[in-house]
Amino acid sequence: MRVIIAEDSALLRDGLRRLLVDEGYTVVDAVGDGATLVESVSRHLPDLVVADVRMPPTHSDEGLRAAVEIRRRWPSIGVLMLSQYVEQRYAVDLLTGHGTRVGYLLKDRVADVGEFLEALARVGAGGTAFDPEVVRQLLRRTTHSDPLTRLTGREKDVLDAMAQGHNNASIAARLHVSQSAVEKHVRSIFDKLGLADAEGYSRRVLAVLRYLGE
Amino acid sequence: MRIWGAVVASARLVWGLAVGALTAVATLAGLAAGGIVLAPALAWPSAREASMHRLARTVLWLAEFERHRLYRLFGDAEAKTYRGYGPERALAYLGVRWPVGLLGGGILLLFVYGAGTIVFFVWYWLTGRYPDNIPPSPWIITYLAVACGFALFLGVQGLIGVVRLERNVARRFLGPTPADLLRVRIEQLSATRADVVAAVDAERRRIERDLHDGVQQRLVALGMLLGRARRSGAAGDEAKSADLLAQAHAESREILDELREVAWRVYPAALDTLGLKDALAGVAERAPIPVTVRYDVPDAPPAPVVTAAYFVVSEAVTNAVKHASASRIEIVVTRERKTMTVRVSDDGGGGADPAGAGLTGLARRVAALDGRFAVISPVGGPTEVRVVLPCA
Repeated sequence: MRVIIAEDSALLRDGLRRLLVDEGYTVVDAVGDGATLVESVSRHLPDLVVADVRMPPTHSDEGLRAAVEIRRRWPSIGVLMLSQYVEQRYAVDLLTGHGTRVGYLLKDRVADVGEFLEALARVGAGGTAFDPEVVRQLLRRTTHSDPLTRLTGREKDVLDAMAQGHNNASIAARLHVSQSAVEKHVRSIFDKLGLADAEGYSRRVLAVLRYLGE
Repeated sequence: MRIWGAVVASARLVWGLAVGALTAVATLAGLAAGGIVLAPALAWPSAREASMHRLARTVLWLAEFERHRLYRLFGDAEAKTYRGYGPERALAYLGVRWPVGLLGGGILLLFVYGAGTIVFFVWYWLTGRYPDNIPPSPWIITYLAVACGFALFLGVQGLIGVVRLERNVARRFLGPTPADLLRVRIEQLSATRADVVAAVDAERRRIERDLHDGVQQRLVALGMLLGRARRSGAAGDEAKSADLLAQAHAESREILDELREVAWRVYPAALDTLGLKDALAGVAERAPIPVTVRYDVPDAPPAPVVTAAYFVVSEAVTNAVKHASASRIEIVVTRERKTMTVRVSDDGGGGADPAGAGLTGLARRVAALDGRFAVISPVGGPTEVRVVLPCA
C-alpha cells in the first residue's frame, strides 16, 4: 500500500511515517500543508492519504478541503482524516459524493496504535472508518428527534459499530453475539429507518451516516 | 527664534482681544437691534417663526465666529472641539460674553492712551518744553518710569485675565456639559469593554492553539511511541521495544516542558508570588538574546497594572526576538507620582505593525486601564514600545 501523510507537526509526521513503515506500508511522501498535499497526490497517485484537518496557513480546515478535492478528483484514493475534535460537518463533508474509502478519526485515536491501524486497513480495503466518538455524537444528536427512537438498545449498539465501519463478523465479535443475530438486527434497523435494500456493506454505512448527518 | 515666536503669539493675542472687543460692540448692537425688531414681530404669529429662525441662525453664526477666534487667535485647542451647543446656549453665551469683550477693548484703549501719553511727554522733553511746567529731573523721570511700569504690569495682567475669562465663558456655555462628558465617557468605556472581550477571545484562541497544536500533538506522538513499543514487544523484538520506550520517556519530559511553557503563557504564577520585578527578570532569562531590566518602582502597583505591564513586556520581547531579529533588548519600568511607564526598546529591524494581532491585543488591554500605548518602529529600526498606565 502506497501512502501519503499530511501533517503539519513534524514530530507527529515523523512518528506516523515510522509507524506505517513498521507495519509494511510504503510512505511515498509526507507533507505539511493542504496545497502541497493535493500537488503530491497528483504526482504520486497513492492508494491512501492520511491527513490532518487543521493545517497551515489558516489552521482551520485546510486539510479537509484538500481531502474533499482529492476525493472529487481521484475517487479511488482512500482518505483517512485526523481531527483534533469532533466536528459533524467534517464527517458529512467527507461523505458527500462517494461514500467509500473514507475515514474520520479523532487524532487521539492514533495513540491507540492497534485501532488506528485497523481503521487504516479498513479504509485501504475500500471500507469506512469513523471514530466511535464521532458516531456517538451523531447518534446522540438525532436520538430524540426521529425513527432512531424506535430502535432497541441492542440495535443502537449494532448501528453504532456499523457506523464506525465494522462489518457484521466484527460486530458479532465485539458484541459477543452470533453473526446471524447481527444480520437480523441490521435488517431490523434498516426497516425501522426506512432504508431500501442496497448492494454493498459500506453503501449501507454511508446511508446510515448520511441519514444521521442531515 | 523662541523669542520671535513669543512676540508673534503675543501680537496674535492682542489682535484677538481687539477683534473680540469689536465683536462685543457688534453683538451688543445686534442684541439691542434684534430686540427692537423682534419684539413687535413676535406679536404676529406668522412672522414669529421666520424671525426666530433668522435669529437662531445669526446667533449661531456669531458664536461660531467667536469659537473660531478663540481657537485661531488665542490658541484654545479645546474651543475647536465645541459643537452641538444649539441656539439657546449660543445666545446665553453671547449675552454673557459681550462685557468681557468690552473689558478687553477697554484695557487695550488704556494701553493706547498710556503709550500716547509717554510719546507726548518724551517728545516735549526732547524739544525742550515741559507739558505741565515741571522740568524732568532724574527723580521725576524715575517716578514716572516706575508708575508706567506698574501700570504696564496691571494692564498685562488684565489682558491675560480677559483672555482666560473669554476661554472660561466659552467653555461654560459652548463646551460639553457634564451630561455630554458622561456620554463620551460611557461611549469610551463601551468601546474598551468590547475591545477587552475581543482581546480575551484572541488570547483564548492562542491558548487553544498552543494546546491543540503543541501539547496534544506531542501526547499523540508519545502514545504512538508507546503503542509501537507494545507491538514490538508482543512481536518478540525486545531491543526495538526498549529503544522505543526510551524515546517515549524522553518525549514525556518534553511534553512536561511544553505544558509548563503554555501554562506560563496563560498566566505567570510568579506575578502573584514574586511580583513584577522577578517576573520580568524571568522574561529576561528565558529570552535567547541579552535583555537588560531596569526596574525603578518603589512600591507594588495595583494588580491589573502589574498584569498589563507584564504582558506588554512579554509580548514586546517575543516580537523583538521573533520578528525584529534584535540582538539586545532594554526594559525600563519607572513609577511617577500617579502613573507607571513601561518602555521596551530593541535594536532590531523595526517596521512593527501596530495593527498586528499581538500589538492590537496589548493596546486594548492598556486602553481598558485608561492607559496610553505607543509603538515607535520606523523601518530599519529601532523599535520602542511605550506604555503609560495610571496607578491611582
